[in-house]
Amino acid sequence: MTPAVQTPLSQWHLQNGAHMGTFGGYAMPLWYPAGARKEHLAVVTTAGLFDTSHMSVITLSGRDTYDLLQYCFSKDLRIVKGTARTPLPTGKCAYGVFLDERGWVIDDAIVYVRQAEEYMVVVNAGMGRVVCDHLKRHQKGGDVRLEDHTNRLAKLDLQGPSSARVLLQALDQPAAVLETFPYFSFKGSLAGGPITNGDVRLTDGTPILLSRTGYTGEFGFEIFVPPEVVENVWRALLKPVGDLTVIPCGLAARDSLRVGAGLPLSHQDIGAWPFQNNPWSFALPYDQDKTAFTKPFLGGDALERPAFHEFTYAFAGFDLRKVETDQSRVEDAGGRDIGTVLTCATDMAIDRHGDRIYSIASPDKPTDFSPKGLCCGFVKVQSPLSTGDIVTLVDRRRRIRVMITDNIRPNRTARKPIPPMG
Amino acid sequence: MKELPELNLPEDVHYSKDHEWARKENGRIRVGIDDYAQDQLGEIVYVELPKPGDVFSTGAEFGTVESVKAVSELFMPMGGSVTAVNTALADSPELVNTSPYADGWMLEIEATDPSEWDALMSRAEYLDRLQTEE
Repeated sequence: MTPAVQTPLSQWHLQNGAHMGTFGGYAMPLWYPAGARKEHLAVVTTAGLFDTSHMSVITLSGRDTYDLLQYCFSKDLRIVKGTARTPLPTGKCAYGVFLDERGWVIDDAIVYVRQAEEYMVVVNAGMGRVVCDHLKRHQKGGDVRLEDHTNRLAKLDLQGPSSARVLLQALDQPAAVLETFPYFSFKGSLAGGPITNGDVRLTDGTPILLSRTGYTGEFGFEIFVPPEVVENVWRALLKPVGDLTVIPCGLAARDSLRVGAGLPLSHQDIGAWPFQNNPWSFALPYDQDKTAFTKPFLGGDALERPAFHEFTYAFAGFDLRKVETDQSRVEDAGGRDIGTVLTCATDMAIDRHGDRIYSIASPDKPTDFSPKGLCCGFVKVQSPLSTGDIVTLVDRRRRIRVMITDNIRPNRTARKPIPPMG
Repeated sequence: MKELPELNLPEDVHYSKDHEWARKENGRIRVGIDDYAQDQLGEIVYVELPKPGDVFSTGAEFGTVESVKAVSELFMPMGGSVTAVNTALADSPELVNTSPYADGWMLEIEATDPSEWDALMSRAEYLDRLQTEE
């Protein structure tokens, strides 16, 4: 077995009591001494910081880059402006998937427009090479220079509703940086590359690339820096801000947060099967009526000839107990085996009260609400189900009733505007 | 993650290879999981225990502990019949993490064969075993 790859922060994690595990070939913190529950709750209510340096960054430049990405990436890299469609402007990014000819998922990704003919693509751990090779195969002699920055860039995710307060303390000229900063936009420079929408620096002068994205469902930012400076950036972001303590968070909390936010994990919830009949059609270039695609793209034809009879749904249970996904099955109300469990995790910030799920961050939560958590995740089944349907997850020791749902953790903050800075 | 020297492994209990402990108390045996197990599992969020009166043989699965990461089986370090379970764990499963040998105990049993306790590992034997596992 190849030894797990260390991130530039591995020593810090070990020195600070992290429980380490291997994910995507990388030695990563699963949780710190605070524990995954506290870390999960911190991101829902205040702020937490994740080392996500295992993820891969690819940069692309050249005259034909836009055309290559527009063909290979599932999302339409144009926005509707009046009656016309114009390319996504500099400083914007988009979430989507790379599909093969069959419409199967190679990986999910965020594509960033750094400036004209300069793009950046962020994919999952270990996928830099795979996605690069895939793009090269479809480049067809066009003017595109591809560079795989795997293990040569570090990434930190500052997530949670108080993240802007943390940046207010950590950034140089924070008001100017944070003033106009919509969801799925970014600013700054990637390791000395072109500057997008103004320079972003920490108070000590370190330049960063700052993106209003994340994978927790909560308000927050992703930060890209060279590995040499990441430990300083990490320490700067962990400095308390008045009464606000930012805690380091591991992959266990990252997983439970993304599940509660209804987001798929690549190669687990989406993967080597057609990307259709799932909750993530927002990653496809549908027109407003959701009847046709607004552009031709690789894998799109296969998805428009739906011959695939499996359906992926989100579910939420009635208590926090989980099943083991590798051995578990899904039974419908009649006891028929209808499919498999893709993900089963516990969102520790939510619980049921009456016929609703509340989050610890719900403004209308019941008095004395103290969530124990709910199991939640995704199932892939052979027959269509509706929101509110009850199915049973069965593993070798448990049978758990869960409800098919279109929203697991309510009142998420990812899209909230940045609060006024005073 | 705790290093071996950091583990709290008291002398007054004996240990099983599955990381459960057993302690002699007033003619009965108390059972729980040890510091190594709770550290490996991480935060315990749910504990599933049997009912008083249930009878298990040595090594049989008597319940589960659920951490954020996974669901893990609990195995009887000694055979016996359950005389009491720690009901406090229903509301405060984290006691298994914070106090694995005291407030986080799991079962009290009437041992089928009390001499099985002597066959379990002492602190020193258990530490040796953990060292070879690492």
